[in-house]
Amino acid sequence: MKVELLAHTSSAELISALPVSEVPLKDFLAHLSFTFAIEGISRACSHQLVRHRVASFSQQSQRYIHVKRLQEHVVTPPTVAEKGKNVFDSFIVEASYTYAELVVGGVPREDARFVLPNATETSLLMTMDGGSLMHFFGLRLCNRAQWEIRAMAEEIFQHVKEAEPSLFETAGPYCVQLGKCPEGRFSCGKIVEMKTKYLP
Amino acid sequence: MKLRLLASTPSVEKLIAIAMLTTTSGAAPSNLYHRLSANPEKVAEIVARLELQHGSIIEHNRLNWLLEAKEGEVLKILLANRFFTFTRFGSNQWLVSANLRAVVEYSTEGDEFGSLLLESIKQKLPFVYSFGRRGQ
Repeated sequence: MKVELLAHTSSAELISALPVSEVPLKDFLAHLSFTFAIEGISRACSHQLVRHRVASFSQQSQRYIHVKRLQEHVVTPPTVAEKGKNVFDSFIVEASYTYAELVVGGVPREDARFVLPNATETSLLMTMDGGSLMHFFGLRLCNRAQWEIRAMAEEIFQHVKEAEPSLFETAGPYCVQLGKCPEGRFSCGKIVEMKTKYLP
Repeated sequence: MKLRLLASTPSVEKLIAIAMLTTTSGAAPSNLYHRLSANPEKVAEIVARLELQHGSIIEHNRLNWLLEAKEGEVLKILLANRFFTFTRFGSNQWLVSANLRAVVEYSTEGDEFGSLLLESIKQKLPFVYSFGRRGQ
């Protein structure tokens, strides 16, 4: 997985152009956008990502792009690597072979892709405003989030903290933002550790 | 009504080109970013092939304006397009932001705000300006 912040609205530039000296942070964040290159994540992860609807996505299209050497372009979950690597790898080889055979046989890519697994790597361009990023962090930096999107959220978090440290000073999972865990009986119970990790 | 562009995402046209190529070329978006940064002529060449279709490829940006308008005028904009974000500063002063897709789509409304939006990007984004003018 690779995440790169390609561009963002400069808060300093915008603040200096405003006729007022202060805007509430929550309001201000909604006026700033952040564009990321996100590469080498699984289709399973991108499915979760695009559920964050107040955002823009331009993702590699399996209609246009031929999937070559699938075995070299899959994401293997750690539990699979530990407990089922042979089964997983055999399936990927079979899926790769089936995909290639369908394409060679004249099936259009848009139909042949139906045999590609959720593990298939994808890359995309994502743009989110600052307010939506706070919500994204609230949900996806949580210990209960799925490991791959949590790792991606962590990368995105590091980039925006570096680019706009004061704006994202209070960012983190919802237990950090709210001061209490909203997960109820599913709470991991680690609010103190999470505050130590994410707050300056 | 008065509208003044205050700020925007840098390199908007380069981001449009990256979005276009990401969906169809198989190249990694970060590689595209670095390659196009070294070759600005290529950006113009790619963006000249822009067709709106889904519209998502012109969403990777945000523009910020200062708007002087009455409440009724702002309500009309909000009812016409839900992708503009407003923050009120004074009785008739607003910080407005949106991406280029919202700008291009709103410009077809044919009202004063639509015309002001397009005029505000004329200098900074000449290609998108001419693209929006075609849609009016």
